[in-house]
Amino acid sequence: MLDHFHVPIEDQVRVNRDDLHRTTADIFTVMGLSQEDANLAADGLVTADIRGCETHGVSNMLRVYKKLYEDGNINPQPRWKITRESSAVATIDADGSHGLVICPQAMDIAVEKASKVGIGAVTIHNSGHAGMMAYHAMRAMPHDMIGYAITGGGAIMVPTFGAIPRVGAVPHAWAIPAAKMPPFVLDISSSSVAANKIQLLRRTGARLLPGLLAEEDGTPIMETQDVPEQTRLLPWGSTRELGSHKGYGMAVIGQVFSGILSAGLFGAINPTETGSQRNGSQFVAAFSIDAFRDVGEFKASMDQFLTYLVETPPSPGNDRVYYAGLPEHEETQIREREGIPLHREVIEWFDSAARELNIEPLAQIN
Amino acid sequence: MLEHFHVPEEDEVRIMPDSLRKTVNALFLKIGFSEKDAWQATDVLLLSDTRGVDTHGVSNMMRNYIRMVGEGTINPRPTWRITRETPTTANVDCDRGLGIAVIPQVMEIAIQKARETGIGAITMGNGRHAGMIAYHAMMALPHDMIGYSITAGGQSMPPTFGSEPRLAPNPHAWAVPADKEAPFVLDISSSSVAANKIQLLRRMESMTIPGLMADEQGTPIMDERPVPEETILLPNGATRELGSHKGYGLSAVAQVFAGILSHGTFGPYEGGHMSHFVAAYSIEAFTDVARFKSSMDDFLKYLRETPPAPGHDRVYYAGLPEHEESIDRHNRGIPLHKEVVDWFDKTTAEFDIPHLER
Repeated sequence: MLDHFHVPIEDQVRVNRDDLHRTTADIFTVMGLSQEDANLAADGLVTADIRGCETHGVSNMLRVYKKLYEDGNINPQPRWKITRESSAVATIDADGSHGLVICPQAMDIAVEKASKVGIGAVTIHNSGHAGMMAYHAMRAMPHDMIGYAITGGGAIMVPTFGAIPRVGAVPHAWAIPAAKMPPFVLDISSSSVAANKIQLLRRTGARLLPGLLAEEDGTPIMETQDVPEQTRLLPWGSTRELGSHKGYGMAVIGQVFSGILSAGLFGAINPTETGSQRNGSQFVAAFSIDAFRDVGEFKASMDQFLTYLVETPPSPGNDRVYYAGLPEHEETQIREREGIPLHREVIEWFDSAARELNIEPLAQIN
Repeated sequence: MLEHFHVPEEDEVRIMPDSLRKTVNALFLKIGFSEKDAWQATDVLLLSDTRGVDTHGVSNMMRNYIRMVGEGTINPRPTWRITRETPTTANVDCDRGLGIAVIPQVMEIAIQKARETGIGAITMGNGRHAGMIAYHAMMALPHDMIGYSITAGGQSMPPTFGSEPRLAPNPHAWAVPADKEAPFVLDISSSSVAANKIQLLRRMESMTIPGLMADEQGTPIMDERPVPEETILLPNGATRELGSHKGYGLSAVAQVFAGILSHGTFGPYEGGHMSHFVAAYSIEAFTDVARFKSSMDDFLKYLRETPPAPGHDRVYYAGLPEHEESIDRHNRGIPLHKEVVDWFDKTTAEFDIPHLER
């Protein structure tokens, strides 16, 4: 994440990963999840925080999830099932499950299939928000596999040339293991900026960069100005000339693999939905490296490739060149050591939630 | 393609697809391709030209291919072979065969695997130019499958924050069938603009627009100015703030699936070396095919019926403009630049084959 999206130092309270995991899992348990499912969902959330992907960690998401469970919009005890299956493929009806609960289990099925036939792919419908997609993709890596994950749903982004939103900012994530180098982990939305970062810009009073957003009528805003009241998300690329059809296209193909392939879902329309979060759909896949090439050789090649990339001489004004997953890996090492910096407002939320739900309060690092 | 990349009307000569096919096929045979490979390579070029993807059609590519066969970098008679295989996967050594001849034959194997298991995916090393990669993905369509293809190799694009090129604008392509609607076909490079389009802008003395390219030190050019002598491609997104790490990332993913997974290749071109990856996903394995296609119709219609933003007539989806162009070009012929037609006349005379019919 860019610096200006981080919690200001004066507002930070640090907590340990394990403590955050415990309290988060406790909250999920009170919401009615089994201990196993609560641990899965908590691991997904806390992994986002430990990697520095705060947008998808406990701060923004846990209170949303809690409310969705309380309102009956996510099923805490889903009886999800495979509705169609072949040796490499499965389709899952998630029975209203949280995405953070069903996706890791679906990825485990994909990994199992990939270990037998080379590739496994699972499409999922009738599920909720899936958290940080990288988490699900990364689950394939310890098996020496490449992981791929998509989450579809919603209509918050305008198509190129369009005036109203008709696709989600559908993210795709890939996770690829190396030997000594930190893994390559790419998790990219198909919009030019995430919706909740707009909120943040508005809150911090920051100015808008050209190409970040569209006017209410879909016209890309191409000059620096204050964030307008009403805006639209633009596809990655911003304008047709700069490649917004690429972001738009990535959103559509993501929706096809998750929503259309599983249950014909797209847009804001869903005739069967009972809650706004049930329009969720995902796709996960695992590619066994051994099915293509010797694993040891592959990982050694990855090390060489990633080293070649980070050793690119930086352009003027920049210190370093990164690759996807490297900053998150470095952030993880810092946060494992020093704790996860939460905004004090988030700590207050945890304290009040702990009192309300009658669970142990979240321990802080002194 | 954007309007200003098309052949100006006063310079165009219309050629019917069948005439072009005859001449191109004869040329491939003359430079040593087998009947099968010549037909296949011709079919890929013709689809590019009928779909209006002129950058990857005969105009730019045919002379390159002839030159590369002459120089010995393309093997006109490759003995490509599978070096590793599972029920869903394979690794193919292309034996320096031209991608537009070899990749479609490999895609047939991926389709066969997908018919049996649900998915087929094949990585290819030691290959040569792949042409318009949408072609390879689109081969899955008649089989009620989703097709995917990648080609990777070389370096003309810097990583985000980098000052020298270490990756290529490696493209990804997907093709998804619908029922009545034209198929969704997305074929996107990971750079913000293709290198040969920068040449074109320079030739036409057009101005750059902000975010289209970087100066020779890798700094994104964020104002309007004449195209400098030396430029570097930028990853799509142009700057980190606008998501250039996404273009950089997609390029790296492509390099992994094609180059690293097949033979561990990345970095500079060696004799035109390209790596490829194709995959086919059987729709039947996931859901009912008829239901899927009718959902696709609903989805694509929903997208193209989005009310347009001020200043625009229509909203498209990927593959729709190319589908419409294809109908038009089958009726009225393919507009080639007169310089290209001259090249054909000179070359057919040189190879002693019938000239290109107008």
